[in-house]
Amino acid sequence: MSAAVLQIQALGLGVSVQDHGRVGWRRFGVPLGGVMDAHAATWANRLLNNPSGAALLEFLLQGARICFLRETWVALSGADASCGFPLWRAMRMRHGDIMEFPRHRTGVWTYLAVQGGLAIRPRLGSRSTYAPACLGQILKPGDIMDGEPAPAFDLPHSVASRLAPALEQRDYARPPAFRVWPAPQTESFSAEALASFFSSEWTVSSQSNRVGYRLTGRALSSALLPWSEPVRVGAIQVPENGQPIVMMRDAPTIGGYPKLGTVDAADLSWLAQCCPGQHVRFVPVGAWPALE
Amino acid sequence: MKWIAYGPDAWLLQFADKLNDHAFTRARAITRELEQRPPEGLIEFVPAFTSILLEFAQGSFDEAQRKELASRLNRARAVSMARVRAKEIAVCYDGPDLERVAAQGRLEVEQVIERHWRPVYKVYAVGFSPGFPYLGDLDRALHTPRLPSPRAHVPPGSVAIGGVHTGIYTVPGPGGWNLIGRTSARLFRWLAADREESGTSPFLLHSGDRVKFVRVAELPREATT
Repeated sequence: MSAAVLQIQALGLGVSVQDHGRVGWRRFGVPLGGVMDAHAATWANRLLNNPSGAALLEFLLQGARICFLRETWVALSGADASCGFPLWRAMRMRHGDIMEFPRHRTGVWTYLAVQGGLAIRPRLGSRSTYAPACLGQILKPGDIMDGEPAPAFDLPHSVASRLAPALEQRDYARPPAFRVWPAPQTESFSAEALASFFSSEWTVSSQSNRVGYRLTGRALSSALLPWSEPVRVGAIQVPENGQPIVMMRDAPTIGGYPKLGTVDAADLSWLAQCCPGQHVRFVPVGAWPALE
Repeated sequence: MKWIAYGPDAWLLQFADKLNDHAFTRARAITRELEQRPPEGLIEFVPAFTSILLEFAQGSFDEAQRKELASRLNRARAVSMARVRAKEIAVCYDGPDLERVAAQGRLEVEQVIERHWRPVYKVYAVGFSPGFPYLGDLDRALHTPRLPSPRAHVPPGSVAIGGVHTGIYTVPGPGGWNLIGRTSARLFRWLAADREESGTSPFLLHSGDRVKFVRVAELPREATT
């Protein structure tokens, strides 16, 4: 059944439709896009037996409000914004139920998956929103969203609820040290700069968004590349001011800053949930001859 | 060619160390080989000026496969550049930064225009925004630093100079390049993205294309899609 499932009543600090991104279009300058925290988003879909790439809602911090227009199974995951419904478990919403995200507690991005996923016309192979190029559906208050037709979903009689294993329910207030692999300009940084990067504590700057997370701390010396080169999501670029920027989902496909390393993809989804002001640390993985 | 590890399952392949015809031809040859015979597990590739990013599915690409691909890409040859017809793009040269470009190159505005439309350009890379072409080689006298502070809103179709490159804005948004003209050609036909199955590319220019600007006093009307 593809019918109206929910209405967006308030956007708060931001709500967008995302899926796992526009894979294969970066050679044309189109950012990867998609969910900032693939770990949490994947769990929300998995709890409902949705396809892993089903489109869901991604909420930034707090302030959004939605109303359900019919009975449906949903799953919330990711950041805790005091919405009053449990995270990391499948639950049934009724017609007229209101979901609000009044006050942000931990994490940055909250995901809401609905049974079957949201019905959005794909653009360039993805339902994710990339507003700068008018890709995807840019939400406004009052928008009504349809769900994709989905096979019947219900819990077996003896099962009271379905939830993500405790180990998978990340505590964003206590991030681990994030793993960093070498990148193309690793060798252009001095051993001292690399050692300083890994031994320092970095603060996530308030100037962080879907394009990049800026880190502040002790400046690392760095120099511009003669011309731009391809940039991966997860790459740690160091501009002239020496304060690293971790490239996130909507990052440009090429860039001219030297890259100190690449945050492991599994850890990048956790870094995405670190709030401005939060402290983070990094740990080297792979071959780092300069650190030996 | 130099293979540089770029995180697990990804490589940056450096195929040249200067921006010139050789780099451009190598990029075209490698891209063509990857399009026609993609190695198993290749998820995505991103060519740029002198390097190309190759991303593989997790654990799908081992050292033996890398060696095989390296030798294949070494041997790859491009269609001769002379046989690639340049795409013509009509430009009306009336941008707000013409004077700035002229002043830094100690030229008259008319000379800036002349030196800009005369060459046949190479699309060295597509990036920054969907379908945005980095064109070279730009006449040295026209090399102009980016604006000290970017404009908040640059209309799509703006023809601009940023450092050693010239390019064309494809979507509305902020931009720091010097605006020297306008085109009505649509570089990113995002509505055509709906018709991707029909085989029409939503992008007018791709890496490896050649471009010729045609100076016009008034722009032709273009279909809105």
